Amino acid sequence: MNLPNTEPPQKEPVNGSSSGPRYWKSLDEFADNPEFQKWVEQEFPEGASEIEGVNRRHFLKIMAASFAFAGAGMAGCRRPEQHILPFSNQPENMVPGVPVFFTTSMPGARDNIPLVVETHQNRPTKVEGNPGYGPNHGASSLHAQASILDLYDPDRATRSKKGSEDLSPSEVEDLIDSIREKFRHTQGQGLAILADGSTSPTRQRLISALGEKFPRSIWAEYEPALSDNAEVASARLFGKRLRPRYNFKKARRILALDSDFLNNEPGNLQYTRDFADGRRVRETSDTEKMNRLYLVESQYSITGGMADHRLRLSASQVPALTALVVAELLGELGIEASLAALLRRKADGLHVDSAWIKECVADLVHHREESAIIAGGDQPVEVHQLVYFANDLLKARGKTVEYLETAGNKSVGIDELAESIQAGSVETLIILGGNPVYNALGNLDWARLQGSVDEVIRYGYYEDETSALAGVHIAATHYLESWGDGRTGDGTVVPVQPMILPLFEGFQEPALLARLAGMDETDPYALVRETFASISGGNGNSDKLFQRFLSDGILENSRYAPARVSANIGALKKDLAGMDLHTEAFSMENLEVRILPDSKLSDGRYSNNGWLQECPDPMTKIAWDNVLSVSPKLARDLGYEPNTPRSPVARFLKLAEVSAKRINDHEMGRQVAPVGRLTVNGVTIEGPIHVQPGLAEHTVVVSMGSGREKSGRVGDNVGFSVFPITHSNSRGIARGARIELAGTTHLLASTQEHWSMEGRAIVREANAEAFRNDPHFVDKLGVEAHTPSVMGSDRDKSLQWQVTNQPRGGSLYKTPEFGGEQQWGMTIDLNVCTGCSACVVACQSENNIPIVGKDQMTRGREMHWIRLDRYFSSGDSDENKRQIPENPQVSVQPVPCMHCETAPCEQVCPVNATVHDAQGLNVMAYNRCVGTRYCANNCPYKVRRFNFFDWNKREIDHFYEGPLGPASETHAITRMQKNPDVTVRMRGVMEKCTYCQQRIDVAAINAKVAARDSSDVKVKDGVIKTACQQVCPTGAIVFGDVADAETEVSRIKESDLNYAILGYLNTRPRTTYLARLRNPNPKMPDYQDMPLSRMEYEKRYGHGAPHEETGEHGNGGSH
Amino acid sequence: MANIFPKWFNKAPLNAIIVLFLISGAGTAGVHYFFTPKYTRVGYQPTQPVAYDHSLHVGQLGLDCRYCHTYVDRSEHANVPDSATCMNCHNQVLPDSPKLAPIRDSYQSGNPVPWVRVHKLPDYVYFDHAVHVNRGVSCVECHGQVNEMKVVEHAQSFSMDFCLKCHRNPEEKVRPLDKVYDLDWKAPGHKEQIALGKELVKNWNINPPKSCSRCHR
Repeated sequence: MNLPNTEPPQKEPVNGSSSGPRYWKSLDEFADNPEFQKWVEQEFPEGASEIEGVNRRHFLKIMAASFAFAGAGMAGCRRPEQHILPFSNQPENMVPGVPVFFTTSMPGARDNIPLVVETHQNRPTKVEGNPGYGPNHGASSLHAQASILDLYDPDRATRSKKGSEDLSPSEVEDLIDSIREKFRHTQGQGLAILADGSTSPTRQRLISALGEKFPRSIWAEYEPALSDNAEVASARLFGKRLRPRYNFKKARRILALDSDFLNNEPGNLQYTRDFADGRRVRETSDTEKMNRLYLVESQYSITGGMADHRLRLSASQVPALTALVVAELLGELGIEASLAALLRRKADGLHVDSAWIKECVADLVHHREESAIIAGGDQPVEVHQLVYFANDLLKARGKTVEYLETAGNKSVGIDELAESIQAGSVETLIILGGNPVYNALGNLDWARLQGSVDEVIRYGYYEDETSALAGVHIAATHYLESWGDGRTGDGTVVPVQPMILPLFEGFQEPALLARLAGMDETDPYALVRETFASISGGNGNSDKLFQRFLSDGILENSRYAPARVSANIGALKKDLAGMDLHTEAFSMENLEVRILPDSKLSDGRYSNNGWLQECPDPMTKIAWDNVLSVSPKLARDLGYEPNTPRSPVARFLKLAEVSAKRINDHEMGRQVAPVGRLTVNGVTIEGPIHVQPGLAEHTVVVSMGSGREKSGRVGDNVGFSVFPITHSNSRGIARGARIELAGTTHLLASTQEHWSMEGRAIVREANAEAFRNDPHFVDKLGVEAHTPSVMGSDRDKSLQWQVTNQPRGGSLYKTPEFGGEQQWGMTIDLNVCTGCSACVVACQSENNIPIVGKDQMTRGREMHWIRLDRYFSSGDSDENKRQIPENPQVSVQPVPCMHCETAPCEQVCPVNATVHDAQGLNVMAYNRCVGTRYCANNCPYKVRRFNFFDWNKREIDHFYEGPLGPASETHAITRMQKNPDVTVRMRGVMEKCTYCQQRIDVAAINAKVAARDSSDVKVKDGVIKTACQQVCPTGAIVFGDVADAETEVSRIKESDLNYAILGYLNTRPRTTYLARLRNPNPKMPDYQDMPLSRMEYEKRYGHGAPHEETGEHGNGGSH
Repeated sequence: MANIFPKWFNKAPLNAIIVLFLISGAGTAGVHYFFTPKYTRVGYQPTQPVAYDHSLHVGQLGLDCRYCHTYVDRSEHANVPDSATCMNCHNQVLPDSPKLAPIRDSYQSGNPVPWVRVHKLPDYVYFDHAVHVNRGVSCVECHGQVNEMKVVEHAQSFSMDFCLKCHRNPEEKVRPLDKVYDLDWKAPGHKEQIALGKELVKNWNINPPKSCSRCHR
């Protein structure tokens, strides 16, 4: 038989086809160019292992000098005298060394995320979701995880300022009093307040108080990344401003129209969990219940990555598509033929496969009451109206969707405020939060408008662009230092309570507003109490109730009530008659621009957060930058063939062109992107071009949040700002754009090529139906089908037996002895993982993982202990074609340390720094590590990270200066965030995922302390949650004792979908994966009988390949 | 031509080797003796701001360890008491003693008393008091006969070897839970201790971790 080719694929073509991996993580890799081949041979990208700017002689000189100092300092071996400083009077309930957890919530514009914060001696160190809030199951988001770093940001505003003078808190209070006095007689005429969005009932109450005091003042709110089209639509259709709230747990068929509901919609944590619950498969019978997601979008969102059927369509054409969907729906139900005809007429000219719409709608109708349609916030009001209407037709209301009566206020938008300023009717402008000078809509020219107001007072967390143009800046507190309240996506009231006294002289928002409104009570705590009393009914027990509220972190039964309304179809028809639908296709001369909030930086508010900047974008895998994402077709039309192999002659002739025009080209592993110039309505922005497969052909996708000028030392000058091209008429979707190349290039820190797995059966996929027919498909894929782990005759013994007895299967190699009673293991369910990357930041927060900066990242030195691999697959194995697919499927896979039972890293460590412990963990003893990096070399999963520099001691720009560089100011404050239970690693040691060793230890210690003189020292299942597991919105990660057959992780490992990556290397990883299932509809025109990645696999290794008969897998199984 | 190399030069290489050998041997021996915790730590006895006498308070008056080190059975740290704890008695007993002035000052001003740390583990060692005292390891095993110390001193080396000796042979040290804070308690003899220890280890399922990861993380 043809043995599977385990060598890097350039060696020997299999099956007569040419070489080239089947999964590809970057276009370069897909193109299989020689430079890439050379690069993947190396463990780290070139340059990662070399000192730059220091020659050997210089290095030796420094070393000699430091040895001399070491000799002189021998006296320093004496231990320094240290002091223990106990309290003078120990506060109650504060035990040094035992963390205390408090509930709070992270304020958002539409939803607060309920949290529990870990504090060590009143110092907050880690944020977790509040498990008491059912819908989120204790999950939290990327932003919530990272928000704790903002608290310790050295660049935050520490003092209130007037110009360059400091203002004391009492001076600020006087200032607010003077404003109140000034407008007392004019009823607020001339006073305007521009605030960011908030869910706080206390703010609501203070706005009313302000409105009573100053009835003629203006209260405006602005959120660049959010639109209220859904509410406006409900007002038109139902006569009431309502917010749709979906229940995806009950939805078995979902159609998403330009909606990234797993990532961007308010309340997405609950959506993600519900969606995942509808997809979780352990055994074949579960596939019957699996939901199916149809999705139409122009960008490639992580929701798109989860879709079973994904239609690429310009966002501008989605309204026309929606019209066709509703028309089809009406036709299917046989009602309202005239309306259907009107809709079809309106959408005439849209080129979409009608069978796609027909079969999709048929499926939705077939699952009436169990299906839902959701539209994205950026879609126009008419789309939302149509979607509400369609959901009613599907009888979805009350089942998969309900409409909630939110406690909205009478705020105006930024446009109306701009008009008032233009008219000269604003004398004093107070800007609460936000950052309009940076992120106001481009057509408003906000900086000029703001400059034209006499008095501008800014209340904000950073001294940013807006503060620079304001007369007075009032420093704000972080939410972890403030009292407040808020509501979750479904309306449940949650507290915001402080963990720590304000680190600097900051003001809390309620205090400011109450003072402005002239209220007697300005203490934020008292204000929140009062609000709570009014919400909770305010009986005599209020004190107790409030304590309970703070301790639970939620107020039970305070959800928004679903509204009982009926749709006004007459109004809908009228609105539709006047509606103008965009159906024409876009072209090079008329491009669409899709402007989206950044997956990490949102609208720019998180731009000074190093964790977020360094977290690669889930789809582009680019950190520290934003890009102009274009489709391969658009790239080609621009004149650039991405690295297609050419004949030497063609190559020679094209050389000059190639050197100037590169797309996703990599030099020494660094992505060199050509800079593009994007012009919309006469406004031009410049940014690096990134070719992103799967985009609508003539849509350029850009994210907000970068290009800040006054963000701080992390966020300044990262990327480019997209706000100049935004316009009141088209917030997230701009048309009529042109793009050209600027002729320069820009270096991008991309992790997408790092640690390529070279196209073996890494992510295993099948259609749900195929799984039903062949439950053991995962075992028939990959090289393991031929060479399973060496278990010898013990192969069929139970997992529990295997993990405790360590069968050697006749191997001469001595395996570690696992004496521990409990053996730890993990499963990651690829079927529900969306790739949101919250685990990456949660791990960073828990395990004191440093930030390395863009420069180091381009050298492949990022330190994340868990990475998310994102693979594209096109289904086309004809590698000679070398065309970048326009419409690939995406597969994501989180990869932490696998904790192999026979770990290859351990065998090569010369100093036994990485060894196995009794509980089956592969551990690092940092003190033993001498930094040979052999282990990282030998790790097949490439999960080990090396401290090339003292990341924790030096400033990002001064790594190369070593001890000669300046002492870090940043770390003086950021080190307060560090987890005291985890070592902060120094230069020269290797590190990697520890399965959150500290959490295991604490659980084990607690179990033993509780056991005392009994023998029950076992840690109960579910007590230990790793940081990645705890944060995961989908519940994809499960951790526990694999030596106990009753634990959840053991049960999951029994699933037929369970497999190990690179299992044939006999590493026997403790972290295993559940294969991914897709659930396409066989009737759809784009139906594929297997996932595209699998198709590539089968074409290359599958049944077409000649197989000799073997005893082991008689049917000539595949790899 | 005169001899450039005198005759003794023939032996020079040998002599050089011997000298080198002696120097390096002395160096190794020196490091081995002077640089180990046994030499650098044991016997360390700093002067405290207040001459607190354990032999008086514990040995003669019979205070329990946990009266002052309140959280030793609940936390990884065995806390040093706050000034208020001292003042519980000393507002009655010796209220004007000049020796206690720092305590009174601290109690009134709110500033801590700067006790000098005697026992210190390196930052990369994560030791937990609670799990030891709750599972039959007495204070005396690491801290020595504190109830007899006039001035607290470092009694054991606290090297990794010291920790591992006990973790490998827990039966030599474990004792009944009610004797953990009784620093004078001893099994009648070594044989009895081993017999008792073995029984406790079995009954309590004591399996002290010996892997790196359990103390270094």
